[in-house]
Amino acid sequence: MKIIVLGPGCPRCHEVEKRTINALAELGIAAEVEKISDIQRIMEYDILGTPGLVIDGKVVCSGKIPRLEEIKAWILEAAG
Amino acid sequence: MDVIGFVLKLLQGGLGNLAAYLAAHVLLCLVPAFFIAGAMTALIPKESVTRFLGRNAPKVVSYPAAALAGSVLSVCSCTIVPLFAGIYRKGAGLGPAITFLFFAPAANILALVYTGGLIGADLAFARLFLSLLFGIGIGMIMALIFRRSEQARDGNGDAMFAGKATLKKASLAFLLILVALLLSGTLKIGLLTNSYGKITLPISGLDRFQAFLSRVVPADAAKGQEGVSVQGAILIGLLILIAAAAWRGLGKISEGFNRWTWASLGLVVMTLLVAAAGMTAHPGGLDILFTGKMFGVVLSVVLLAFIARKRLTPDEVRDFLWESWRFIKQIFPLLVVGVFAVGIIRELIRPEWIEALAGRNTLLGNMAGVLFGVFMYFPTLVEVPIAKMFLSLGMHRGPLLAYLMADPELSLQSILMISAIIGKTKAWVYVFWVALFSTLAGLIYGAFKDGASVLRITLYLAAFLALLAAGLWRMSRRANEHQGGIR
Repeated sequence: MKIIVLGPGCPRCHEVEKRTINALAELGIAAEVEKISDIQRIMEYDILGTPGLVIDGKVVCSGKIPRLEEIKAWILEAAG
Repeated sequence: MDVIGFVLKLLQGGLGNLAAYLAAHVLLCLVPAFFIAGAMTALIPKESVTRFLGRNAPKVVSYPAAALAGSVLSVCSCTIVPLFAGIYRKGAGLGPAITFLFFAPAANILALVYTGGLIGADLAFARLFLSLLFGIGIGMIMALIFRRSEQARDGNGDAMFAGKATLKKASLAFLLILVALLLSGTLKIGLLTNSYGKITLPISGLDRFQAFLSRVVPADAAKGQEGVSVQGAILIGLLILIAAAAWRGLGKISEGFNRWTWASLGLVVMTLLVAAAGMTAHPGGLDILFTGKMFGVVLSVVLLAFIARKRLTPDEVRDFLWESWRFIKQIFPLLVVGVFAVGIIRELIRPEWIEALAGRNTLLGNMAGVLFGVFMYFPTLVEVPIAKMFLSLGMHRGPLLAYLMADPELSLQSILMISAIIGKTKAWVYVFWVALFSTLAGLIYGAFKDGASVLRITLYLAAFLALLAAGLWRMSRRANEHQGGIR
């Protein structure tokens, strides 16, 4: 599984990255987490606001900080 | 030359300015403003505004919506850039995107409240009104100039703007009461500033403490330096306590409420109450006056607590507190450093220089204000204490507004950022228009302050706009002919 956190480097984006890593740890699932902070590359995704969270190529959330439980649910869904 | 004495004097200037700033009633507007900004970020769903910014939105809707998005959604720079790029590439286009970009730093809640509290409500209103007018104006001009290259943008982003979420009634009420809290602390009307009771705390020695404070931080009206009162000293103490408690109480709020959360919220309310009260120290003790402001603060806080408990979900309350704390953590240190620096700079600048350059409302003075804004980069909101310094050193309010309009829009950093998204040519054309309109804003506002009649100002403005329209029309015709010649 590949998870991408989109954000130019603001505290909110760090929070999403932190929560994602916590979610993975709590679920015991291994995944590659990448942080993209280049605005040109961020704009390749269809989002209007950062932070954005992309799991396996699909934007699951943007413009807000998701709860830990929400992130877990998305990860489980993507893991099948 | 006495170098050490000179350096000490500079440091004293910086610290004095900082102490006077923290102790002043500016807190009463800044603290609620941080919480309003937090509430806006956490409780207003982006989609409630962005759905008016799609590709198919009519101009009458998209331009005002872009301005609204600027003032409501973008208190944080990490929202401005993606939203700007999104509106430009996949939504309503270059015009509204520019309006959004122009309006966001000048008219978000923090900037407006801060300008109003520190410098004056008149300047805050001028900033809001002229930014709105010129933001939409510049957006339309840019759309007109570049309408040919506009058609080549990439499409298929409609889904991004299709969200249907709306603002909850309870969230709206919560926001409005926060605004009421802000107003009850800052409005200078009799009902709020009158005192309705008095108690005297028998603490002796406070008058000597006040004398000590006046000696350490001397007030100097000529240079616009303010002193520190006993009340101010208490406020500074409370602020330090809040910082200590909030680090654990609000910083870790996402894991749930804890003892520190309640402690920091209690301290915040305490700070608001102390700032709202009237206090005088005398040999017999400390007089505390119960002002109308205090009742306003108590009433708003009770209402806020009620709504948060009964009408908002725990998640929403947590998000609200987290975002508010994030703003404070991000912006307050910048302000502290900025204000300290302003105190030092003030020792070095002579009032005669400012008066000679921008003491009157001249074209040159306004251009100087804009130029200073372009070449100096100050982090978010620090432009306001800088402007305050210029004002106290004798700058006219016209050039001051020109500076306040240009500084947040045009720093080298932001120019680079937008040129990465819309290209170098468009970025520099944008810079040109912002510089022109900022100068104009300063001139208009300065003339208004100097007592020119509104009719004459309107006439001048109309003449200028007519000239502008004619110029743009000719330009677009020439572009058309040019195109025809190539074919």
